[in-house]
Amino acid sequence: MDNKINLSQLAERMAQEAGMSKAAAEQFVKNFFDIISQNVLSEGIVKVKGFGTFKLIQMEDRESVNVNTGERFTIEGHQKIAFIPDADLKERVNKPFAAFETVPITEEQAAVIGQMEESEKEEFKPKTTDKMETKKEEPKKELKEKKADSKVEKEEKTGCTGLKITVWILSIIAVLALIIFLLWPLIGGKILGRVDKKVEEKAAVTAPAPAPKPAPAASTATAKPAEAKFALTKEDEAKALPLFTIADTVNYKITGTMTTHTMVKGDMLTTIALKYYGTKKLWPYIAKYNNIKSRSFKRLPVGYKVKVPKLANKR
Amino acid sequence: MNNKQFLTELSGKCQMSAESAAEQIQTLIGVMENVWKNGDSVSLSGFGVLEVKKKNERVSVNPTTGVRMLVPPKLVLTYKPSSLLKDKLK
Repeated sequence: MDNKINLSQLAERMAQEAGMSKAAAEQFVKNFFDIISQNVLSEGIVKVKGFGTFKLIQMEDRESVNVNTGERFTIEGHQKIAFIPDADLKERVNKPFAAFETVPITEEQAAVIGQMEESEKEEFKPKTTDKMETKKEEPKKELKEKKADSKVEKEEKTGCTGLKITVWILSIIAVLALIIFLLWPLIGGKILGRVDKKVEEKAAVTAPAPAPKPAPAASTATAKPAEAKFALTKEDEAKALPLFTIADTVNYKITGTMTTHTMVKGDMLTTIALKYYGTKKLWPYIAKYNNIKSRSFKRLPVGYKVKVPKLANKR
Repeated sequence: MNNKQFLTELSGKCQMSAESAAEQIQTLIGVMENVWKNGDSVSLSGFGVLEVKKKNERVSVNPTTGVRMLVPPKLVLTYKPSSLLKDKLK
C-alpha cells in the first residue's frame, strides 16, 4: 500500500511477466515514457492505445488572492500536461466501484446528506492521508445509510444505536421462536396434556353448574346424563387425540428386526418411519437401532441398508 | 502523435517489430494495473507519477431540470507530471 514503484521495480515485474531480460524491460519502459514526455512537449499530443492520451492544455490567465495579504494578483496563462486514460483502462481501474450507479435523490434525502456531510467533515478530516482500505468501506456505508429510511437517518447516531438494539431484540426473538419451534414436539405434548386436563376440570366445574340453575328443584338426574355425556366425550377425545405424541415415542422398546429397508433417492429416516410405523415421530428408534450418528441423518447414501426395528409398547 | 507513430518510434528505439512493441505495451499496462490494484503508485523520475485516486461520492444537479443526483464514488487514474517535465514546458 502507498508504495512508490520506480522504474527498476516496474521493469523487474515486467521482465517476469513478459519473459524478457531485466535490462531489456528497463530499456523498454524507459523508452516508453521518454517518447511520451518528449513528444507531448514537441507535438502537444501523444496517443497510446490501451493507455490513454497525454496532451498539452492551455490555461487562461486567472485572478487569485494572496491568502496571507489578501492582495489580488493574476496567475498568468500557462500550459499544462493532462492525461486522459482510455475508456477501458478507466473502467478496469474503477472495477471495485463499478456496481454503483448514479441515482436521483429526493429533497428529504438531500437535506439529510447535507447534515451527514457536515458531521463527516469533522470526523474524517484527520484521515485525509488514508487511502483505499478505509475509504472503500466508508462510501458503501454512506450509500447504504442514505438509501435507508430517512426517518432513521434524522435521528443520526442515536438512531443508529437504537436501530441496532431493535435489530438485536428482533434477532433474539427470532432465535427463541426457532428454539421453541424445534423443541415443540418435546414440550408441546406435555403442555397440551396439561391444557387438556385444565379444560376437563373447567368443564367438570361448569357442567354441573348450569343444571341446577334452570331447574334447581329438579333431581340430579338431569345433571347426570350431562356428566355421562361429558365422560363419553372425554373418552372419545382420548381416542381421537393423535396416536403419537412425543410421550408415546418413549413408550416403546425394540424387540427385534422387523425388516431391512434399502435407501432410495428421497428417503429419510422420517419417511421410513412413516412407511413402517405410520408416523414420522418414531424415526429416532430407527436411528438408534442402526447406530446412526446425528450428523449423518440427512446424508444417508442411496443404497444404504437400514434395519427397521420391531417395536413393542412398554405398557 | 497518434498510436501508430508512437509504435514506430518505440519499436525503432528498442529494435523490435511494431507488433511485439504493441504486445509489450499491453504487458506494461497490465503490470501497472496490478501496481495500482495494490494501492501503489508508479513513479518515474523525469516523467511523473501515475496514481489511482479515490473520488468521493457527490451530489450533482442537472442544470436544466434541477434534478439532484448522487454520483457514486469512483477510482480514477491520475497523472501528475514531474517538476522536471514542467520546467521543460516553460
